[in-house]
Amino acid sequence: MAVVGKNVPHDSARGHVSGESLYVDDIAPARGEVLVDFLWSPHARARIRSADLDAARKVPGVVALLTHRDLHHNLFGPIYKDEILLAVDECTFRGQPIVVIAAENAEAIRKARAAIVIDYEPLEPILTIDQAIAAQSFFPDPRIIRRGDADAALANAEHILEGIFENKGQDHFYLESQAALAFPEEHGALTILSSTQNPTEVQEVIAHLLGLQMNQVVVETKRMGGAFGGKECQATHPAAMAALAAQKTRRPARIAYNKDDDMHATGKRHPFQNRYRVGFNSSGEIVAAQFDLYSDGGAYADLSPAVMGRAMTHVDNAYFIPNVEIRGTVCRTNMPPNTAFRGFGGPQGATTIESVMEEIAAVLKKDALDVRRANCYGIDSRNTTPYGQIVENNTLPRLFKELPERADYKRRLAEVKRFNESSETHLKGISTTAVKFGISFNTKFLNQANALVNVYLDGSVQVSTGATEMGQGVNTKIQQVVADELGIEPERVIVMVTSTEKNNNTSATAASSAADLNGGAAVDACRRIRERMAQVFRTSTAAKGEIVFADGQVWDAADLTKKMTFDDLVGIAYRSRVSLGERGFYATPRISWDWTTGGNPFLYFTMGVACSEVLIDRFTGEMKVLRSDVLMDIGRPINPGVDRGQITGAFIQGMGWLTTEDLQYGAQGELLSHSPTTYKIPNIHDLPEVFNVDWIEHDNPVNLYGSKAVGEPPLLMSISVWCAVKHALSFVSNGEVARLRVPATSEEILMRMSHSRAAVAQGVQR
Amino acid sequence: MRNEVIFFINGAEHRAGGEGVFQTLSRYLRYDQRATGTKIVCEEGDCGACTVLIGRREGKGLRYRPVNSCIQFLFQLDGTHVVTVEGLSRNGLTPLQESMVRTHGAQCGYCTPGFVMAMAAMYEGGARPASPADVRSALTGNLCRCTGYEPIIKAALDVNGQPAIDDLFPPAPIVEALPNGEGVRIGNFFKPASLAQAIEFKAAHPKCVIVQGATDFGVWCNKRGFVPEAVLSLDAVPGLDELRIEGDELHVGGRTTLAVLEEFVEGKIPQLAKILDRFGSPQIKNAGTLAGNVANASPIADSLPFLYVTGATLELSGSTGVRNVPVEKFYRGYKTLDLQPDEIITRVRIPLPAAADSLRLYKVSKRSHLDISSFTAAVLMRRRADQIESVRIAYGGVGPVVLRLPKTERFLAGRPFALETFEEAGPIARSEITPISDVRGSADFRYLLAGNVLRKFYYDVR
Repeated sequence: MAVVGKNVPHDSARGHVSGESLYVDDIAPARGEVLVDFLWSPHARARIRSADLDAARKVPGVVALLTHRDLHHNLFGPIYKDEILLAVDECTFRGQPIVVIAAENAEAIRKARAAIVIDYEPLEPILTIDQAIAAQSFFPDPRIIRRGDADAALANAEHILEGIFENKGQDHFYLESQAALAFPEEHGALTILSSTQNPTEVQEVIAHLLGLQMNQVVVETKRMGGAFGGKECQATHPAAMAALAAQKTRRPARIAYNKDDDMHATGKRHPFQNRYRVGFNSSGEIVAAQFDLYSDGGAYADLSPAVMGRAMTHVDNAYFIPNVEIRGTVCRTNMPPNTAFRGFGGPQGATTIESVMEEIAAVLKKDALDVRRANCYGIDSRNTTPYGQIVENNTLPRLFKELPERADYKRRLAEVKRFNESSETHLKGISTTAVKFGISFNTKFLNQANALVNVYLDGSVQVSTGATEMGQGVNTKIQQVVADELGIEPERVIVMVTSTEKNNNTSATAASSAADLNGGAAVDACRRIRERMAQVFRTSTAAKGEIVFADGQVWDAADLTKKMTFDDLVGIAYRSRVSLGERGFYATPRISWDWTTGGNPFLYFTMGVACSEVLIDRFTGEMKVLRSDVLMDIGRPINPGVDRGQITGAFIQGMGWLTTEDLQYGAQGELLSHSPTTYKIPNIHDLPEVFNVDWIEHDNPVNLYGSKAVGEPPLLMSISVWCAVKHALSFVSNGEVARLRVPATSEEILMRMSHSRAAVAQGVQR
Repeated sequence: MRNEVIFFINGAEHRAGGEGVFQTLSRYLRYDQRATGTKIVCEEGDCGACTVLIGRREGKGLRYRPVNSCIQFLFQLDGTHVVTVEGLSRNGLTPLQESMVRTHGAQCGYCTPGFVMAMAAMYEGGARPASPADVRSALTGNLCRCTGYEPIIKAALDVNGQPAIDDLFPPAPIVEALPNGEGVRIGNFFKPASLAQAIEFKAAHPKCVIVQGATDFGVWCNKRGFVPEAVLSLDAVPGLDELRIEGDELHVGGRTTLAVLEEFVEGKIPQLAKILDRFGSPQIKNAGTLAGNVANASPIADSLPFLYVTGATLELSGSTGVRNVPVEKFYRGYKTLDLQPDEIITRVRIPLPAAADSLRLYKVSKRSHLDISSFTAAVLMRRRADQIESVRIAYGGVGPVVLRLPKTERFLAGRPFALETFEEAGPIARSEITPISDVRGSADFRYLLAGNVLRKFYYDVR
């Protein structure tokens, strides 16, 4: 019985519900272990005049105080090598590590931190996109994607719409804060247990910073307590600090951020400020658009250029724009370096155009769904993206038809209009939005993976890949795929801890593609093992037909009397001196990308359409999601239960970014909302009252078992909630286009309602 | 007088004395006992990842309630039985854990033990959730970043034959071994067995902190490095857990928890029950007390506008006797109280609103549940036909203390009960407040709410 396509429980579920699963900080302390923490810059920007560590060194229990001087190198970064681990003479963001403290206990760390004397000269920081634009503070290489003649088409357009879409950042709020444990090994080598999405990057950076060869550093990741992109690059810093402490003290070294420090010191989803100019005709069809995207990259580049790339390639979202110009500029500010976060710029791009759709509908007094359908990518025509990729296997038109039917959209839209005419206390809005999310890393070379499959003498199997498990179920999917490839029960397959010792030069578990890439590599390994085992079977049974591996058995399709258990065949193969281990490799085919010529950056697109209805209190601005319907094309799910959880989880996480998660900063850039008391991720009560999640039956022949990536795309389905708020506001906007920022907190909503009402005679009151 | 606390964890006796009693339960579990199923995330009682069950004596048995172990200190545990996720799983997975496995209720797993324990509490005493709303209510205090909660709600409803904690840990031997009602003194921690001793201790240690639920105290210690000079627990003082209706007053004892109060007022004072529902999570309400909310003196304390408009009084017991202070007079400024060093809030007396009166309580926060208020309000109105006879209004989050709005109240009294009246009252209400901008909202937002909430009240009671 095949298990791909079955609802197999998460391979760690039993450990999770019993509390048995181990995370980095759950591992019992080794003898002699030191605790590691760091002193961080209290200023967004400051010159370090002097640092006096003498008093701190004398604090009982302090083992080592380490600074940039203790590093072999102090420069790294995933795209540009522009980031320093420990500040030298200038701090460039608040939360930047300056001194690494290794001590016997937490008390000593607290005292040492208080005893360090640093003389700062605060400098004028750049804290916002506006300030960065004014100061022309940008990272290099602003990008442009261009097709047709947007200027000319705009000049001739019947209608022109201009505006600015703005969003705030979002904290990842993984429940397990950043953590790592470093062990000194022989001859200067190190083993690091890291809560990272990217063990290879941790390995590479640590080797570089500490003056080792990569082969001297082993990085292992058992699991993460959530990551969402926040541990793609920024798990490296804690791991490097622990590694430095282990190297210098020759003792095991543990670091585990507390939630507040984690929120202060790590980067977030990028704030964007997107200016747009859109031309359209009276039926709502866009004829041309110019998008000028600015993101806040923070103090170092981190992944910001790539995030901008994805924003630029997703600002079209589900819609064809014949003449288009998209510019992207990453601002350099004195905020913590902003980084990957589920969606990776895609949400900021897509929300911009979904917002535009609402605005076109408001201008033309049309149903926004009709406007979206008029612009939706076609099957045979109007199906090329601004960067030149044809939208193949396009299910958007089908989804745009089926979802509104299932959601009873037309009737409910009429109901919303009636309600808003009669209710003096509440306001409703409804909106249907789409997602077309490109799958593959925008950076071509990252689209590769390797896998190690070992079959043991008893027929049980271990699989190791570069994929890291953060709850998304990638290990479970790989377990299922390997079980089916070898025709054995999934219980016979264990997916092992991710380790750079077994899988080298791996890409981050990111871009939703870990199952695609690593699953592909595992399949490659399994098929080669199976081929060799089939040959052994033929030799020992004289089988002539096709050799079938299924249900723990192996047989000759042409002669069913020739049959044995998988385990017996393993024994024969071993005794015949045939290798029962294999390393598989996968490189995504067909993709190409060049900023100047465009190309096909994505292997395929994951698609979906969602409809949400909201209820707003006219007096307080409080908003409630009454109902959300989500319909996606996620190919043929390898594990429907896992994929469903990805959709519900991503939707609610996206909704948090768009509604309640409000990063507040003080005048000097200090984060004021740095714990769950003040930073509000969605709570169980925020789940839509009615929440229908489903997908269509549709094959994806270019990918693993016909599946599609599902990690990020459904996050963009929550844009329907934000657009529903915008739709609601259009009823009180007095004929103007309703503006709305992200997040649409109750305050934002109330202020927008009051502002638009201020124009009418009743003033602020009504 | 004992000089150590005695409690049980998962059926085994633990004793703690000395400085050790000032550590949190979550750290004791994880770093002392290596019971790492209990997770620490926020260390301020706002995420539920550290949820454990605490069994306290009730009748001859133990009643288990979920609390946040990150803001429970060992000194609070004297006489209790703590059950963690490891204890729940002692005989293998229970049906609710199996259900979580089946429905993909766990993804990354970090919040999962906390959810499992909050769910176990939901099934205590033979209870079971009847609807998703029941589940939401019971799991208000647990944050999950992965699942979107939907699979967890499914898991919580799809459970059969969940054993009670008593089935896993027969209570009789535990109850017998637990101390009951005796005093404890450990260094500067004192848990007296009488009110007189408590008052005496407080007089001798003017800066001592009365710690009952520790829901705020825990945050001060964990986040601000607060070190108390002395800690006083009222756990063993007889009578302070009272809760009854006396004539037309509700009497709430000095250590009555918000959870017990909520259960009691349901049906009796529905508006109060509603605001208590949004007050906080079960974990917080099981620990925190009404007197604690009053004493903490936050201008955004959720109970205060209600206590203001009903005209509640505080019974303060000190060495010279008992004093009754109207709650409005209790606050002299931001976090400044009319409370003598030797005095303890022993009772809150709340006049019950008359059946004919209209009472509405409002709480505006960034998130509907498990959030601290940006703005709170209480409006209590008496009306004769279409005329407003009298109104009492109290706002929170608009100044250093919760405020009554005398000018607005005077304006409204005697006017017709009509939308125009409340619209006209808005600017007057705004003139009586001095809100600031902070992380929970701008001053403008609060000004707007101060007017709007009056119109909302009109529609709500019309």
